[in-house]
Amino acid sequence: MAERRVCRVEDLPPGEMKIVPGGRWGIGLFNRGGSVYALNNYCPHAGAPVCRGPVTGTTASESSYDSRWVREGDILRCPWHGWEFDISTGQSVAEPVRRVKTYPVKIVEGWIVIEG
Amino acid sequence: MKADSTVDAGVSVVDTAVHPYPRDPDEIREYMRAPLSKLRFPGLDGYFYPPPKDENRADSALDGTAGADPDLARRQLFADTGVDCAILLPVTRGLLPDVDMASELCSATNEWLAARWLAGDDRFYGSIRINPADPTRAIAEMDRWADHPKMVQVAVPLQAHHPYGQRMYRPIWERAAHHGLPVAVHADSLGGNEFWPTSVGYPIYYVEYAAQYPINYVVHLMSLIAEGVFEDIENLVFVFADGGIDMLFPLLWRFDSDWRALRSVTPWVKRQPLTYLRDHVRFCSHRLEGPSDANDYARWIGEIDAEHLLMYSSNYPGVSFQPADAFAAVPPALRQRVLATNALQTYRRLREFD
Repeated sequence: MAERRVCRVEDLPPGEMKIVPGGRWGIGLFNRGGSVYALNNYCPHAGAPVCRGPVTGTTASESSYDSRWVREGDILRCPWHGWEFDISTGQSVAEPVRRVKTYPVKIVEGWIVIEG
Repeated sequence: MKADSTVDAGVSVVDTAVHPYPRDPDEIREYMRAPLSKLRFPGLDGYFYPPPKDENRADSALDGTAGADPDLARRQLFADTGVDCAILLPVTRGLLPDVDMASELCSATNEWLAARWLAGDDRFYGSIRINPADPTRAIAEMDRWADHPKMVQVAVPLQAHHPYGQRMYRPIWERAAHHGLPVAVHADSLGGNEFWPTSVGYPIYYVEYAAQYPINYVVHLMSLIAEGVFEDIENLVFVFADGGIDMLFPLLWRFDSDWRALRSVTPWVKRQPLTYLRDHVRFCSHRLEGPSDANDYARWIGEIDAEHLLMYSSNYPGVSFQPADAFAAVPPALRQRVLATNALQTYRRLREFD
């Protein structure tokens, strides 16, 4: 896949998401605390535009009835059926793991560059 | 549960659900303590819907009561049916409003079972009846019997006021697992304060009731999974002794699907719900109807993971009695697992049987 300049860094402030052209459904760029991630805008479950879902946290637990809120800002929740995905890897939180396709991202001369 | 291919040598048929009955209530009363033994208590024929025809095999009766004669049961199971050993699961009185009476009836039933049935034949194994509405006494009753070499499981009613995953039951299941005793859930006779048989009202006919009532086990199973009981108690096993495995999978597919969307609400459920079955759940086989064609039947029980989850049970002396040759058309390796191996791996104490 060819590398492409898809967005100026200053056009994707921290905490923001932006859809850029790519693939059949577009690619979602996420700026999480200065790190940029690129996810295919297609949920592996039922084909929803997954990148349009809320960015949120999730819960962790040691034993029954123990629930702690963790990883605020790291989790993308699909807008259709609520599946949770780790933005940095595209992997579902629930097992068995399903994966949103991700693209390598580089910053070159103030541009966000992705392969794909 | 750990797979162990060496345990089934020499045993060809284990019957995991046989129901012994007292000839009359006084046979149980004999083992009760005063003053409760002085009081009246319900008989064993209380049901939402009394069976309109015989509930039990007419040829199994002693003095008019089916399943009440150990000698006859021995002949009909071991000689006529080819069973090598049988797990006895006596019914009690369901949800009696008086929890002390309910617990006393459990204790007396255990005494009666040990004296009248287990002592008389090495091939009979037993179930410890406990009353889950009184966890303290249920635990004491388990502790009282846990070292008995013929008691292989704990038994509780299918009827309940709260699904079995809920937290008030947790100490009971922890204790059962501590003793290495699986927990069998089976529809009981009724004591008086059971809920409606369905949440949308009373069906008219017994045939409706008989077909749908056992499906309530799914409520217990989903509760056990959702409340993390199987996550927290590593070696706990539930045996659903009214069958129903063939009704399970479409409901668990739905449960799995919703769990993926709602996982964060119950983060203690670490695994896809369906994946808890092999480690924590078994089903008895009677009332496994399946397709009527023999080849379709053999394929069907492969698809419901009978290889790991299903254990043969006759349900003697019930009229839904299932002989072991019901599995004659099933491939031999799978048949062996259903008829013996799965039970021998579930009930460790059966391994001493030869």
